[in-house]
Amino acid sequence: MTKETHTKPAVSKLDSEPIESNEVASAAASRGPLVMRAEGISKDYRISRKAEGVISAVKNVNLALYARGVVAVVGESGSGKSTIAKLLSGHEKLTKGKIFLDGAEIQVGNRSDFRRFKSDVQMVFQDPFASLNPVHTIRYHLERPVKLHQKTKGAEVETELLGLINQVKLTPPDQFLAKYPHELSGGQRQRVSIARALAAHPRVLLADEPVSMLDVSIRLEILSLLDDLRERLNLAMLYITHDIASARYFADEILVMYGGEIVERGPAEEVTQKPLHPYTQLLVSSSPDPDDLGSTLKTGATTVARQAGSALTNSVGCRFSDRCPFADDKCTSASPPHVMVGSNRSAACWHLDKAVPIIHLDARKETVSDTNKS
Amino acid sequence: MIDDQLPKGYDSKPRSESNGDASQPVLEIKGFSVAYRSRGGDVKAVENVDITINRGEVVGLAGESGSGKSTLAYGACRLLRPPAVITAGSVRYNGRRSNYTPVELLDLDRDQLRKLRWREISIVFQSAMNALNPVLRIQDQLIDAMDVHLDLSKDEKLDKVVSVLDMVGIPRDRLRSYPHELSGGMRQRIVIAMALTVDPELVIMDEPTTALDVVVQREILSQIVELKERLGFSVLFITHDLSLMMEIADRVAIMYAGQLVEVGQSTDIHHQPAHPYTQGLLNSFPSLRGPKRTLAGIPGVTPDLRDLPPGCPFIPRCKFAKPDCTKVEMRLEKVEGILGGKHFSACPIVIANNFKPSETERAHA
Repeated sequence: MTKETHTKPAVSKLDSEPIESNEVASAAASRGPLVMRAEGISKDYRISRKAEGVISAVKNVNLALYARGVVAVVGESGSGKSTIAKLLSGHEKLTKGKIFLDGAEIQVGNRSDFRRFKSDVQMVFQDPFASLNPVHTIRYHLERPVKLHQKTKGAEVETELLGLINQVKLTPPDQFLAKYPHELSGGQRQRVSIARALAAHPRVLLADEPVSMLDVSIRLEILSLLDDLRERLNLAMLYITHDIASARYFADEILVMYGGEIVERGPAEEVTQKPLHPYTQLLVSSSPDPDDLGSTLKTGATTVARQAGSALTNSVGCRFSDRCPFADDKCTSASPPHVMVGSNRSAACWHLDKAVPIIHLDARKETVSDTNKS
Repeated sequence: MIDDQLPKGYDSKPRSESNGDASQPVLEIKGFSVAYRSRGGDVKAVENVDITINRGEVVGLAGESGSGKSTLAYGACRLLRPPAVITAGSVRYNGRRSNYTPVELLDLDRDQLRKLRWREISIVFQSAMNALNPVLRIQDQLIDAMDVHLDLSKDEKLDKVVSVLDMVGIPRDRLRSYPHELSGGMRQRIVIAMALTVDPELVIMDEPTTALDVVVQREILSQIVELKERLGFSVLFITHDLSLMMEIADRVAIMYAGQLVEVGQSTDIHHQPAHPYTQGLLNSFPSLRGPKRTLAGIPGVTPDLRDLPPGCPFIPRCKFAKPDCTKVEMRLEKVEGILGGKHFSACPIVIANNFKPSETERAHA
């Protein structure tokens, strides 16, 4: 399926009929074979036990993870990024949709199924201060997954542990095994949690904001460690972040989420340099830019739309419509389908024709503020 | 209490005139040092720092965690408790309500401090989202801050609360909400509103938007700047996000291991960082715009502040370090950059070689 779409000529299909977002070839596909695929996954949370309404945290998301490829999920808090990771890792049950690992649908029926699944799909969490147990040594944290997933015993465990610590570049390895989490810095702790994830010899690594709690000078080291690991261990990686700039550097494909839906997807460089969807444009223009000398932050002229809308209601229409400068009646009455742009990009917006001519960043800024004024 | 341990007077050692427009300083910090007493020796969290904040100016203070940014700001307001001790320096406040007569903060007694805090200098604390009392309604918390400083009737207080909340874009019907009923961004706005209720001259913002996503962050920051223009307060903005700081701050001070290593206009520092540490920080940021750069990061870890080696504290992580660096006296010297102006660096190598390290680095990249 991927091969076919990949060979399609890269013509703009803006005027053509809507497509399913899983028809879009992933920019990560060229890295290696398909490992994990999610088809139309959704997650609804009930608002209360009595009331009828639901919050759809994730709605009809398609994504594919390829060996050695990195797919980034970018969006604001509450957009459903972490819920995707929870669904893919089996920590939450799907409301709708299917997840495939190596072409076979995942059916987690009992505990041993879950364990087998976990040895293929592992997570790295956001907060290395909260995700390690303060009363246990690093050895304990790594030994358990090794024994559980590798079924090794005795001396083999020891070699495995040292190997893991080496893999995440904590030196000297034997010293680190005896330490407690409080003796380590944030960056070192995050390395330990990466090592813990690797202990299962996974094929998919789901990294949920792995660097957002770390110092700026350390973030880069952790990201290049992850980059190095996916290459060496053939990992398929999902990188969840709110920092679209780091996704530009680290990921092959970027999925932009808003209100539980993917609103735009495509190769990292293209999405960040020529955002198509109005939300992606807002996201990109909101990111700090030290080069922007005439920044609105210095002059105090506010051009940004004020209030963030409540994203997770069950309303009809485009979920971004209440914040969108291009919104009209159509946007509030029907949700926009994904439209293909080139062979590996798509965006879900009724007004891509309005948004497309202003894809260049400088030009776009002016146009958006003009629209706001009028 | 801490008052007993305060030294009188301040270091008379001559210092470089590191900070810009001296015409109207609101806060002048000179030779300021803070140490945390511990059994293994003093942790010198802030060491001999000079920094001036002028009227209506946004000064950014940047550095890694543990570099002493927050300790400097809290220490200057005398908010630190033992084992933290102010070991040297002076902090002079110069406000319009005190008829521009400088007040030495380190000499004030408890009552005087109580009058000055919040009324003259207010703080938006780090993790502002959790700084609100969970069992009090928003309006009660805002009125609480007002009660201490202003003598107003109940209606006037309520009016004032409504008007500050309006300034930060929170609707009136949220007055009776509890913090947990509000989103992170709204709570952040309320904490900022709280800092502005009694019209302070200086607002210290300690990582005010770190936990928020970029769109909300920009909304809040542009609100802060808008309010600053309107109300005319100064801001000391503490963050580790340099790219954000470049955008919002007029002047930037970079801190490393408790010392200032570089001070300058944000444009100067952005285009011509004059300290290897600043260069490293700037090189750690993935850029969203322009061509992709090779990102380098800064290898190594921050030094142990109990036992700093002689000379520059950045030596172990610096790729330009020379044997002579151990003899460097850490003080800010004027940089004769292309852009000129008020740019100071503590790295003599950069100053002597006229930005050589930066050029070598760019050639490598």
